[in-house]
Amino acid sequence: MKPRALALVTAGALVALPWVLARYQLSILTDLLIYGLFAMSLDLIIGYTGMVSFGHAAYFGLGAYGSALVLLNFEQPVPVALLAGALLAGVVAAPVAYLSTRATGIYFAMLTLAFAQLLYTVAYKWRDLTGGSDGIAGVPKTTLFWGGPSLATPQAFYLLVTVCVLLSLLACRALVRSPFGRALQAIRENERRFTSLGRDPRPFKLVVFVIAATFAGLAGALFAPFRGFASPEVMFWVLSGQVLMMVVMGGIGTLIGPVLGAMVFILIQEIASSYTEHWMIFTGVVFVLMVIFLPGGLMGLVRGRA
Amino acid sequence: MTALLETRGLGRAFGALQAVTGVSIAVEPGELRAVIGPNGAGKTTLFHLISGLLPPSSGRVLFRGEDVTALRSPERCRRGISRTFQTTSIFPELSALENVRMAVQLKAGGNFRLFGGRALLEASAARARASLAALGLADRADALAATLPHGDHRLLEIAMTVAQEPDLLLLDEPTQGLSPEDTTATVAVIRRIARERNLTIILVEHDMDVVFDLADRVSVLHFGQLIADGTPDEIRASADVQKAYLGGVD
Repeated sequence: MKPRALALVTAGALVALPWVLARYQLSILTDLLIYGLFAMSLDLIIGYTGMVSFGHAAYFGLGAYGSALVLLNFEQPVPVALLAGALLAGVVAAPVAYLSTRATGIYFAMLTLAFAQLLYTVAYKWRDLTGGSDGIAGVPKTTLFWGGPSLATPQAFYLLVTVCVLLSLLACRALVRSPFGRALQAIRENERRFTSLGRDPRPFKLVVFVIAATFAGLAGALFAPFRGFASPEVMFWVLSGQVLMMVVMGGIGTLIGPVLGAMVFILIQEIASSYTEHWMIFTGVVFVLMVIFLPGGLMGLVRGRA
Repeated sequence: MTALLETRGLGRAFGALQAVTGVSIAVEPGELRAVIGPNGAGKTTLFHLISGLLPPSSGRVLFRGEDVTALRSPERCRRGISRTFQTTSIFPELSALENVRMAVQLKAGGNFRLFGGRALLEASAARARASLAALGLADRADALAATLPHGDHRLLEIAMTVAQEPDLLLLDEPTQGLSPEDTTATVAVIRRIARERNLTIILVEHDMDVVFDLADRVSVLHFGQLIADGTPDEIRASADVQKAYLGGVD
């Protein structure tokens, strides 16, 4: 039961960290975990179902806007905003998935990109609701529940993020081991064989796309109160590409790998951007080296040793 | 006695090419039918038409007396037609057991159980193990399918279809690429399973020894048309078949 012990130690450390780390470090760690959840959700589509979505930022952004609007306009507890953001992302993902899963391979990727850019444009142009290019600022970290403790301290909000990410990880793990999750992996392996064994793969693809979008929405819904804003950049295709890089660097089809990939990506960004505004050069070099020398990503390295 | 499977004037064109033309065959329950013919005779196309992978350009397919022409391959599989492919078609990065278990799950249902489903997974795994054992692959259960040798791939794919407990099993060249020893072993396994499970099988095969050894009846395709249909002895004696197909042998 070595992996289980390691998982417990890691979870314990994550909960204990706010009392050890400085404010700035804690803020980076919170960021890492939010992007980690975002990357993990994409892994359900890429790693487990074998479909490359190039528009995953749209659902992160929808979650961010949904949560920002609920917090700013209705002053509800944060969990209500999380639910709203995640649901908004899932609901919008359904028709996108319905249309995109008619295609496969590169055409599927292009359709998801097109719909994501469409949603980005809506966020950019619908000034009355979204504030246009300025976005929505001043999103408050409200409370845990009605009349409950405030989440405005970095420690409290960090703990909320940690709990959300750990629960999501457990949920995704259960999902990929369920009969449905096994079916997804069979679709990834051989779609024609799957079909001729008695099921149409499309409903499976649609459902996993919606689930992944919902978790991406949850990540976005945490992002908005954490950073205090939601803006069109969080729906832009560049973020869709970055989250794809996080998944690949961490190791596709491992769930935990993309979380590690997100950590590496954010850390490079944090460190390199304090020296140069061209921090993407460093990210690019590391990405290329990892793809060449670590094709299984960070998790491939861990598993190769085990 | 009604036929388990009947095709009436079944045809399929690809553009100007008429791959299958007006094929009418009837397969009785429990029968082992071989379909033979030179390369390009339309054997695999006929399989696609029976399994629903391709819609026909003309004609109909009746299964257990019901018209299934409009049904696509997943529905036909659920009704009891399972098939293998000429080029092995498996789930390479899953274990041999999971390959077969998946076949059971997809037919049995419960595919949208998003969480848990442990009882369902265990029940399907038990059936999968039985099917692997029947094909002599019991000790390969935990191996990654991709790492198995070619002969085991062919058997694994048969195990997947057999585990679905189909009424009609379509085997597309099950001995293709096998060594003479593996061919003999595979033929023995098919014969045993057909008898034990009282399966109805349609088999495309190039190896004439296999055909005349296994089949109850033989259908001969030539340029997409059915030119003969009879017992192995009748086919061996038929002048048309000699000319079209076996000519080079004598």
